[in-house]
Amino acid sequence: MANKPLLPEMMKTHGVSRRAFLKYCASLTSLMALSPAMVPRVAKALESAPRPSVIWLSFQECTGCTESITRSHSPTIEDLIFNSVSLDYHHTLQAASGHAAEAAREQAMKDNYGKYLLVVDGSIPIKDPGYSCIAGISNLDMLKETAAGAAAIVSVGTCAAYGGVGHANPNPTGAVAVSEIITDKPIINVPGCPPIPVVMTGVLAHFLTFGIPELDALGRPKAFFGESIHDRCYRRPFYDKGKFAESFDDEGARGGWCLYKLGCKGPTTHSACATVKWNNGVSFPIEAGHPCLGCTEPDFWDNGGFYKPLSVPSGDYRKMGLAAIVGGAAIGTASALLSKAGKAKAVKAHETVNAHDLEKSS
Amino acid sequence: MTATLERGLNALREQIDAPVASFFTSCVSCGLCAEACLFYRETEDPQYTPIKKLDLMRRVWSREFTLLGRIGGWLGLTKPVTDADLTAWETLVYDSCTMCGRCTLVCPVGNDLTMMIRKMREGMSASGHGPVELIGAAQRHIDGNSAMGDLSKAIHAQVKNAVEAAGIPIEFDKPGVDYMVILSAQEIAEFPDVLSAMARIFKKADVTWTISNAAFEATNVGIQLGSRDIARTLVQRVVDAAESLGVKGVISPECGHAYQALRWEGPNLIGRAYNFEVIHIIELLDQLRAQGKLKTKGKNSRKLTFHDPCQINRRGGINKEPRRLMNMVAENFVETEDAGTMNWCCGGGGGVGANERAAPLRNIAFKRKKAQIDKVNPDAIVTMCAYCHHTLDNVLEEFNMEQEVLGLTELVAEYLDEDA
Repeated sequence: MANKPLLPEMMKTHGVSRRAFLKYCASLTSLMALSPAMVPRVAKALESAPRPSVIWLSFQECTGCTESITRSHSPTIEDLIFNSVSLDYHHTLQAASGHAAEAAREQAMKDNYGKYLLVVDGSIPIKDPGYSCIAGISNLDMLKETAAGAAAIVSVGTCAAYGGVGHANPNPTGAVAVSEIITDKPIINVPGCPPIPVVMTGVLAHFLTFGIPELDALGRPKAFFGESIHDRCYRRPFYDKGKFAESFDDEGARGGWCLYKLGCKGPTTHSACATVKWNNGVSFPIEAGHPCLGCTEPDFWDNGGFYKPLSVPSGDYRKMGLAAIVGGAAIGTASALLSKAGKAKAVKAHETVNAHDLEKSS
Repeated sequence: MTATLERGLNALREQIDAPVASFFTSCVSCGLCAEACLFYRETEDPQYTPIKKLDLMRRVWSREFTLLGRIGGWLGLTKPVTDADLTAWETLVYDSCTMCGRCTLVCPVGNDLTMMIRKMREGMSASGHGPVELIGAAQRHIDGNSAMGDLSKAIHAQVKNAVEAAGIPIEFDKPGVDYMVILSAQEIAEFPDVLSAMARIFKKADVTWTISNAAFEATNVGIQLGSRDIARTLVQRVVDAAESLGVKGVISPECGHAYQALRWEGPNLIGRAYNFEVIHIIELLDQLRAQGKLKTKGKNSRKLTFHDPCQINRRGGINKEPRRLMNMVAENFVETEDAGTMNWCCGGGGGVGANERAAPLRNIAFKRKKAQIDKVNPDAIVTMCAYCHHTLDNVLEEFNMEQEVLGLTELVAEYLDEDA
């Protein structure tokens, strides 16, 4: 797969105009929360960047992440960006199989040792390595071996980033995230089940142009995961007005009101879904009438039911709240009355101060 | 009766009201008041942080007026305020606060710290923790007619001198005139020239005025000591005299806390509005200037700067008036840094100047003002408060500084256009 043509040539063969390319660079730049002045730099970097060797390892996964990235509306520029890296190993996409496939991985590692980018999707079972093997090599061994020579690792999808569905209770395979095994390499988490295609290509573009992007506490690039879905949700005005859909077939649901009470995890979920959207910007789950599941957050499978509203206490909370208010008001009033009585007593106890009263008797 | 701890604590309880509760509740411990305080800035000693000076009052409030504080008190988690605590706070409340009001102005949550110091002093004085000099002044004033003792002979002598100097008669107890003039004891004893200055200016402006034998003293030690009862008695004397003479107004003289006492605290102390207006002498001179009744001729060619008295400018609102008058008579008027409402105190206000124990600290605190004066290096400093005048005279001497200090009324009278 070596000696692939550079991006401009790729564009020509795919019939993409330079104008379309620059438009893509501009949208990518804004998506990465960079200044518009950076557009030419992004374009230049994408045109001239030496295509790094990329090794893509798929472990305990559903191939949804790969499906997502290959479904990025071919032939789009995202697709080209992906083609513009030298994808030297990806067992779902590569033509080679068997020994030849593994030989390609070993060759790429040897040729680019210390420089290649490792992309991982899927969690790694550590309870028994036999749960998931490729060519007789356990996921754990393959990850350790391949990560050793990587410049950086991109954990694509919630499984690789945080363990995902494999990690969900009771976690029969002992599935863990990449970051729990590899601790000596920079790791960029691109969670999502699956991640948004343009976010994946955007992170790769950022890596090519400016290196590792700024990450949040959970290892996610801030440019794509800096804001919550709730903050950017087009249904937010309904939330602010207290207008909620109570069931999937009521007036609120039909009227497009906030899905908070139907279990929407938008307020606690950080992702670009509400702005970038899916299927080439057509829609996203909330727009389709379904609450956000929170798939970019760790352990989203185990955070209560998908249809249970956030932070609602069990029991009859309204009555509890009312009782708390009444009780608090009573205590407050009693306290205020005591204070008032104390002050009245003090005023009553006032003895007029005479200028000759100002010294102590001693 | 004597001062006791119980009387002091009772006074604090009386002083604690809704504003005090909200101020203590809303304090965010940001420390901006420390940076605004003359005493903290010059010593960098954290005990001089204004809110810290109020800690005992805060403890009384917390223990007796808040639910959690009360529960804490029942469980023995907090200690009641003792006489020893009050003794420890004496120097903080009386020696290191001139009630200049800078902290109140910078407080981001709007706490009136100066008002709270004033309230805390009520408890301090009722429990016998007032400075002896202020107690003495209170006794002299209550028993006699002035904080300096009996000044009835002195005022008559000074008026006689002024009548001779100006060639204008000054009448005592004359009913129906425009204004009753009251004077600071400091003016009667140290700066009597203000009398002839007023006589000449008022003559030219057709303003009629008199001095009351019953109430000629403007100072009110009750405000500084922190005793409403004493302050009320002294304000009442002025009010009674003015109302019996039927004057249109009372002229508050060049004295900071006297203006504070009569103009702002007075009606609250006696519980009603006055039947006359209270006007500061500089306010009145500026009014006369605006009406064209005050005209000057010639200008002082020396380099002059102006010192703003805290109680008259920052806490009294008289800021532009003295500057308009200064520009009438000064050819070379320079302002110091922070001049105006954020001016730094001379260090003598709020009873600190009378307090001998506070003298070393007062000299340290003056260093800020000194540095600002040194920077503009004027020939003379003009002010509109006799006590600032007195304090500046003393500290300038202490620091071997050459500047002369002038009263603004006298300076204006010096350039009065007699022919206009």
